Amino acid sequence: MFEKILVANRGEIAVRIIRACKELNIRTVAVYSEADINSMHVQLADEAICIGKAQSSDSYLRIDRLISAAEIADVDAIHPGYGFLSENAHFADVCENCNIRFIGPNSQAMNALENKAVSRALAKKAGVPVPPGSDGIVENEQEALATSKRIGYPVIIKAIAGGGGRGMRAAHNDISLVKGYHTARSEAEAAFGNSAVYIEKFIENPHHIEIQILGDTRGTILHLGERDCSIQRRNQKIVEETPSPLIDNKFKDLRKKIGKAAVRLAEIAHYTNAGTVEFIVDDHGNFYFLEVNKRIQVEHPITEEVTGIDLVKQQILIAMGEPLRISERDIHFRGHAIECRINAEDPFDEFRPSPGRIDMLYTPGGRGVRVDSHVYAGYTIPSHYDSLIGKLITFGKDRREAMDKMSRALSEYIITGIKTTIPFQQAILQDPNFRRGVYSTNFIDQLLGGARRDLIEEKA
Amino acid sequence: MDLKDIKAIIDLMKKNSISEFELEKQDFKIKLKRGFNGGPQLLPQDEGLQGYPVQHIPSASQPAPPSLPAQAASNDLEIRSPMVGTFYRAPSPESGNYVEIGSEVNPDTVVCIIEAMKVMNEIKAEVKGVVTQILLENAKPVEFGQPLFKIRPT
Repeated sequence: MFEKILVANRGEIAVRIIRACKELNIRTVAVYSEADINSMHVQLADEAICIGKAQSSDSYLRIDRLISAAEIADVDAIHPGYGFLSENAHFADVCENCNIRFIGPNSQAMNALENKAVSRALAKKAGVPVPPGSDGIVENEQEALATSKRIGYPVIIKAIAGGGGRGMRAAHNDISLVKGYHTARSEAEAAFGNSAVYIEKFIENPHHIEIQILGDTRGTILHLGERDCSIQRRNQKIVEETPSPLIDNKFKDLRKKIGKAAVRLAEIAHYTNAGTVEFIVDDHGNFYFLEVNKRIQVEHPITEEVTGIDLVKQQILIAMGEPLRISERDIHFRGHAIECRINAEDPFDEFRPSPGRIDMLYTPGGRGVRVDSHVYAGYTIPSHYDSLIGKLITFGKDRREAMDKMSRALSEYIITGIKTTIPFQQAILQDPNFRRGVYSTNFIDQLLGGARRDLIEEKA
Repeated sequence: MDLKDIKAIIDLMKKNSISEFELEKQDFKIKLKRGFNGGPQLLPQDEGLQGYPVQHIPSASQPAPPSLPAQAASNDLEIRSPMVGTFYRAPSPESGNYVEIGSEVNPDTVVCIIEAMKVMNEIKAEVKGVVTQILLENAKPVEFGQPLFKIRPT
């Protein structure tokens, strides 16, 4: 049994992890930058250690300081959360070398799924469909052109080390391909320190369907259903739900197929702990592997609500060496869950970040409403980190109820002093296409494409 | 009157070089006195109230407060930890401490070691002055930015 866990993260996920630890009777150590001294995770943990200045590169990404903190606090394990060092194989190695358990996948799996190009190759090997594309990294312009000719336009150029929608460019012809190839590479170099790119067929307006997997150290791997994350703005997820209305309404057999594919890939990678296998699905029900996220994800709560399984606790138990006590038979999906990511951004001003002091805060409540957030009235949101201030999750017996609760909860959610995306999400929930469950990844663009501005303003 | 008010009065006294302050209200009397005593003393870190005794005077006479620490001037600099680790005052358990209160330091003087991941990091003073306070005990854990020493610059 772990006695103490260090949470190598901040914000809402640090609070989430601390809560799971407390419920398991495990003591917690928070780490924080100087900008986060008043953050909720620091208050909730049993101990807190300052690890540097505001810049993440001088604090949350400092492996030496995290390990030092873990040593002086004498912890058994580190939970890396999401983002930061959660998918950093070197960090996982350093932890193990220092006798600190890393709560995440083992090094072998991390390496097998090291980057998008490698994962794509492994998926192929596992018989999982991948979008037609290059065989690994595209080394130069000529190769880019040849690949695109072979698979046919439109194509998408992607950074192998990319994330958050950066280092990606779509191309519809040779001219935009060459331009996009070079731009994607420079962007990738700047953002991730790695300019390597690969090319895939660009499936236009796909649906983003991902599968939650859990693997224990004995080799048992399960999937816990899908999440539909097609509601995205600039490749950032805004609203997620499970089950996917696309699958329920149109392609019922896809659930089993995609689930099986995800598990097969995880098995071949000898995956352990929690992970998410992402797929894109086209309008004809064809699905293609995208990538594996080797960590707990932001939107994990919706899976928890429909399965009744606490994913963060499972992560901790798996890391402790416990075998999965749930079997496929035990996984029952009940009801419908939706999550809205509440960001401190102004939807009326190009989603400009809105850091600052929260004046008044009233969080929604009632049956089937869950708020995962670290903010409080009087808290000043620092400007150095992402703008996620909380997640609003609703659970209903069916999609209709979950949506109605979400609209109700959004209307109750009061945050003053800063701008938030709440009015924007309210507009999404009221949109007739969203309510019908008919949407793909171009939904937000269409919503914002002019005609809907009045709707958003109305809901403010 | 609460602690906040008392701290505010003390700050005002410091700022205006007032050495004595007395206030009497209906059933409450407070007297604040800035004392100066010679001799080095180690005090546990107590922000804002170091060296300032607060006396409640229910009756006319009160014994003198216990000896006060050497008065730290308000322009003393702090040496703060640049890393997370364990603080050691000496290079090894058998050696003497790097510095004591009253020790003179130069920018290159090693004042302590912070051990992180089995590596002993020598921490330099980076200023020229005299050590006026040692803010934590040997072998205690330190976090980033934690104050270690107070130095009066010369």
